[in-house]
Amino acid sequence: PAALPAAPLAFTDVNLNSRNTYEVSRRRSAPEHLPHGGTAPAEPAPPPQEPAERARHRVGIAGAGSSFAEFFTRNFFTKRTKELKPAVQSAPGWKLFGKVPPRENLPKDSKIIQQEYEARTGRMYKPPPPSARRKNIEFEPLSTTALILEDRPANLPAKSVEEALRHRQEYDEMVAEAKKREIKEAHKRKKIMRERFKQEENIASAMVIWVNEILPNWEGMRATRRVRELWWQGLPPSVRGKVWSLAVGNELNITPELYEIFLSRAKERWKSFSETNSENDIEDAGASVADREASLELIKLDISRTFPSLYIFQKGGPYHDLLHSVLGAYTCYRPDVGYVQGMSFIAAVLILNLEEADAFIAFANLLNKPCQLAFFRVDHSMMLKYFAAFEVFFEENLPKLFLHFKSYSLTPDIYLIDWIFTLYSKSLPLDLACRVWDVFCRDGEEFLFRTGLGILRLYEDILLQMDFIHIAQFLTKLPEDITSEKLFSCIAAIQMQNSNKKWAQVFASLMKDNKEGDKNHSPAPKS
Amino acid sequence: MGSAEEDYNFVFKVVLIGESGVGKTNLLSRFTRNEFNHDSRTTIGVEFSTRTILVGDAVVKAQIWDTAGLERYRAITSAYYRGAVGALVVFDITKHQTYDVVDRWLKELYDHAEASIVVMLVGNKTDLAQAREVPMEEAKMFADNNGLLFVETSALDSTNVEEAFETILKEIFHKVQKQKQRSSQSNTVSLASESPTSTAPAQAERRPCCVAL
Repeated sequence: PAALPAAPLAFTDVNLNSRNTYEVSRRRSAPEHLPHGGTAPAEPAPPPQEPAERARHRVGIAGAGSSFAEFFTRNFFTKRTKELKPAVQSAPGWKLFGKVPPRENLPKDSKIIQQEYEARTGRMYKPPPPSARRKNIEFEPLSTTALILEDRPANLPAKSVEEALRHRQEYDEMVAEAKKREIKEAHKRKKIMRERFKQEENIASAMVIWVNEILPNWEGMRATRRVRELWWQGLPPSVRGKVWSLAVGNELNITPELYEIFLSRAKERWKSFSETNSENDIEDAGASVADREASLELIKLDISRTFPSLYIFQKGGPYHDLLHSVLGAYTCYRPDVGYVQGMSFIAAVLILNLEEADAFIAFANLLNKPCQLAFFRVDHSMMLKYFAAFEVFFEENLPKLFLHFKSYSLTPDIYLIDWIFTLYSKSLPLDLACRVWDVFCRDGEEFLFRTGLGILRLYEDILLQMDFIHIAQFLTKLPEDITSEKLFSCIAAIQMQNSNKKWAQVFASLMKDNKEGDKNHSPAPKS
Repeated sequence: MGSAEEDYNFVFKVVLIGESGVGKTNLLSRFTRNEFNHDSRTTIGVEFSTRTILVGDAVVKAQIWDTAGLERYRAITSAYYRGAVGALVVFDITKHQTYDVVDRWLKELYDHAEASIVVMLVGNKTDLAQAREVPMEEAKMFADNNGLLFVETSALDSTNVEEAFETILKEIFHKVQKQKQRSSQSNTVSLASESPTSTAPAQAERRPCCVAL
């Protein structure tokens, strides 16, 4: 197969083989031009350090107008194709379905062996009747399969007629078996492709509705049933950033100019930080300077540990500086909160979906929500309230599992801290995390906890069989093959009603209890 | 003995603490899975791993809690020390600051854990010897003065990782054995975590802390 031409881009398919794979597709030409599942000619080889066993998760970004998609096609894709060309050209035996290419040093191709056999035995080589449905499957047995047809080397006794016939028969059986497998595989791939097309069609039609109908009438329509239902299905990636921005709002009235101001402050600080000897500063100004420097150090440290498998936030990666800027500006904007681990993941997801200044505005406003503020200020007593409210709904929705966890004294902080701090962007595949963010923007903090319960529900049967350490291990490292359909159907089944009280009411009454409790006896954090 | 594939005599809960970025997660992954990840992700909250090793005739299951290093998180992570019988306090030999705060980590630890907890000071990243900022003698002396075990490791090239965990697990084991002898004399304390039976393998899991030292 020829390398994909760099331009014009009728179709591009960029796959980064990683934990959270971004796949960017722009599809304007007819789908039949597409190669079959997973066989895009330009599919790059996984980066060398990438563990191959990592599951692939995909975020489809369809349609034009997405700045992110354009970014990829402009920068990433062209660069990658150039890098890849030699690899593609040097692989002449590259097979359509990813079979091991026959190496050049192999003595004989199986077809040749087979033909030789036909010639020797006088039997006509009848190519297997091509399946009517799958004409494009070019089946070719592995080279070693046909070895059974070969005559024995001269120093060994020759095959008898019966033996040769039996070998012929065995060979045919092996071929038939392998072919059946191939066809089955091909059908599976085709089905997946069909589902993907369907999904992309849905996204495309949803995008039209979002762009033409909803966004121009945002305030009037955002709360309507129709919009809320469409919203639940997941936002088309091209409008995702816009809808997030609108839904998060800008209570803090941050302007792009303000962002620039804080960014330049952050830059000054970095400069002075790298110029001065840090030890002197600690002596001079005490803990606050040390903290601030620790915070700058920490940002630097964490950026490279944010979605490491995407290779875009790491040093030298395209979004490294951007992530640095947004986080740095935030620590200048909110020195009272500063930088807290977990933030880099949130900022990164926003950067993937929004322009720089908009990402900052959404970031600052998002972190200003009560739940996020409680967590990022590490307000322990407030966090315990959230955990307690979560447990109310946990017991209501999954009583059996709730008791099981209780019996091991497995408290929600063990798994919820990671989930809430990063808004699931570290724990779930990125595309799925984005869908959670979509509905989080619609429903607010309660959806974060509802998602947590959805995850517990999805894995309830497995978790019920596990003991403390296995549950803890499982929940702090969720399976990578979790699918959005399954998860969202589990989330949908979670009722956020506790004896007619909704999340906000349950939470409020817990807060009230706390105040009354404070009066009666000294507050002892129940942890 | 246990009925499942997991037969063990003891469960020891060990916590990994120390500043962010010193390599706690990689030490753990090197020990439990023999893996090192150059691009490991920031730990938020706590992560878990286990590995079973043989100490003498006893099968010891190490249940290791890998905590987030961020100072701000300490309020929430301190609860994780409860029931720990061992702790690895990790610093980065190429960053003096991570060594300077070992004192604070120890204080934090002793505030929340049993006084008898076995603590090991671990200077990690010996593969970066050319960038060393903390002399080995200094750290060793600090450890001796504070009654800590001490080892220098490299999660990257595997140096001493196995030894570090084995040493601390053996030390815990010996403490437990001594405790056992004493308790069998006085006949008061029972080690609930010992020899989980098929009916209650969970008990040891649930309360790894019940190996009271």
